[in-house]
Amino acid sequence: MHELSLAQALLDQLRELAAEHGAESVKRAEVLVGPASGVVTDSFVFGFSALRLDHPVTRDCELCIVSPARTFRCPACSHEFSDRKDSAPFRNPLARGPDCPACGGRDCLETSSSELILKHVEME
Amino acid sequence: MCDSCGCQTAHDHQDPLVIEVNKNLLEANERQARSNRSQIEKMGAVAVNLISSPGAGKTTLLEQTIDRLAGDLKIGVIEGDIETERDAERIRAKGVAAVQLTTGGACHLDAPLVHQGLHQLARTDGPWFDLIFIENVGNLVCPAAFDLGEHRRVVLVSVPEGSDKPAKYPTTFRGADLFVITKTDLLPYFDFDPDEAVRAAGRIREGLTTLTLSAQDGTGMDAWLNWLMGLTNERSAA
Repeated sequence: MHELSLAQALLDQLRELAAEHGAESVKRAEVLVGPASGVVTDSFVFGFSALRLDHPVTRDCELCIVSPARTFRCPACSHEFSDRKDSAPFRNPLARGPDCPACGGRDCLETSSSELILKHVEME
Repeated sequence: MCDSCGCQTAHDHQDPLVIEVNKNLLEANERQARSNRSQIEKMGAVAVNLISSPGAGKTTLLEQTIDRLAGDLKIGVIEGDIETERDAERIRAKGVAAVQLTTGGACHLDAPLVHQGLHQLARTDGPWFDLIFIENVGNLVCPAAFDLGEHRRVVLVSVPEGSDKPAKYPTTFRGADLFVITKTDLLPYFDFDPDEAVRAAGRIREGLTTLTLSAQDGTGMDAWLNWLMGLTNERSAA
């Protein structure tokens, strides 16, 4: 995908926040990566670890990724549920969705979020 | 008294400053996209972002669309490519203003680039437009994450690419407002199952409208043109 651009956007945001709060360095950033965002977490973390060195403010910043469980909705009974087991990022895309735990309905639709959110930041 | 925690004895605080941010990672892009959208509206236009893999027929569809609509609507086109002016030249040959944005390697357009494109478009043939097309860099993955300030997002898949594309590239379909299957004149020669493509797209985005067309022989073009006319009518009624 465009993980390097995302890592750069995150670092720009962190440097702006540090300047805004008069902090010397950013120690930790927590980012929520929605299961449907299409972001490959490993590439994102790799890009971040390379690009953070460009600036003393972010040089030691640790990136913490929060990956919520995938969520689904049953087409038969509209029950909504999350499924940790089904969170493999490279699941066969042509496979059916999981069965509904409430009514047993087949082939539930994915409703996972595609958000990319900078949750919080620790600075010194 | 300690200023940071209110305890009675002054002491060094090792605790780092923790800030709740809760902002989109692409906040800077989103901000520019909102400003692009209002700029497009001030130009009197509605903007459509076209996303597909390379070679799905975006530019050919635009050429045919311009032939059919340019008499009724003032059209402008922003072309995104990694290199060359070729697509913009094809559009200009149709007598319509076209701006070529070359990303120099980047796999998608972003809102700041489109902002420049809008200014160039206004300088070339502005200030007023009815319909602005933004033809994204050919790529079915990366453009999905970047709001450009468009009003509608159209995803195109051509018959030779195969009907499994929506299932394989779900992120792009999740943000789509319209799904267009192109090059349907080639259906007899390829193993493309339109039902499979529509079903997969519907699983990713419920109720997604699908159009099937061939810009080559004109089949299905009317529905596409009607969809576009509907958009511009909505815009001028607003």
